[in-house]
Amino acid sequence: MNEFEWRQQMRSLRQPVAPRRDLWGAIDAALEARDDDAAAAPAARHASRQPWLLAAALAGAFLLAGSIGLRLHRDAGTVTGNAPALTNAPAPWNPSDPRLSGAAIELDAARLELQQAIQQSPHSPALQRLLARTERQQTQLRQLVHEAG
Amino acid sequence: MPPAPVAADDDIDDARAAADGDRRAFQRLYRRHVDRIHGALYRLAGYDHARAEDLTQEAFVRAWQKLPGFRHESAFGTWLYRLAINVALMELRARRADPVGFVDEEQLPEHGETPFCAAEREELERAIGKLPPRARAVLVLHDVEGWRHEEIGNELDMAVGTSKAQLHRARQFLRKVLGETP
Repeated sequence: MNEFEWRQQMRSLRQPVAPRRDLWGAIDAALEARDDDAAAAPAARHASRQPWLLAAALAGAFLLAGSIGLRLHRDAGTVTGNAPALTNAPAPWNPSDPRLSGAAIELDAARLELQQAIQQSPHSPALQRLLARTERQQTQLRQLVHEAG
Repeated sequence: MPPAPVAADDDIDDARAAADGDRRAFQRLYRRHVDRIHGALYRLAGYDHARAEDLTQEAFVRAWQKLPGFRHESAFGTWLYRLAINVALMELRARRADPVGFVDEEQLPEHGETPFCAAEREELERAIGKLPPRARAVLVLHDVEGWRHEEIGNELDMAVGTSKAQLHRARQFLRKVLGETP
């Protein structure tokens, strides 16, 4: 067989060949799965990023509020121990105290952010938990301030 | 050398619609091109039906993903063909398939008669299937699909000289299988 015949023979192999089964079903399913993944990915990223950001911001606020609360509580104990006659005195809120007002502002801002986030993702249990925790922290802070007088 | 495009006008409309997410348009493209694409992949896969079908499926999924970037500078059929071949060659590269090895003489099938009836064609296809993957890719791309050695070298990441040497040895092997004196 000369070169020309060889080439002819080889080129004759270049024929369309149908698959033994229809591949469209599998292809369609694969496309569907990829589309679902693509749609889910940004939402998942958004949902996961938002709580992390909020959690990070809240962690700072909680730490601040906690340390202030603890200190106020200790101060209150000291005052109570040293001057029991003052325990029944009214406990005025002192907004001029920068430690208290800072913590209160942080917590309030966190609560507002969480409420906005919940409006966007109303079924997020993580956001609901964070909001409940923030509100508890606010209540605790008010109680501690009240106790500290 | 990619084959001539099929139904180019319909392809343009369907490719644009598919790029916008129209799955039915993509299905029409699939129906028009699947046999040609599968044929090329079937040959590159050494006439292994299961592997060729996997590669065909992967090629169309990849095409769907890449369609938004298709600029219609070539016919859709040409673009798809090239993409499908790349899918097969990527798999070949990923498997690090036998870069220089060749089939042992003892593994050669029995000699056949002079080609070229259907049975002999089948015999030739079987012999091509027995070639090591990279040698088979060179032979199929050059002798069957009509690619140049430069293109093959680029795609398979080998020197032009290596591509020529692989082709020479693959032809020798096939001629021997087919009972010819090289």
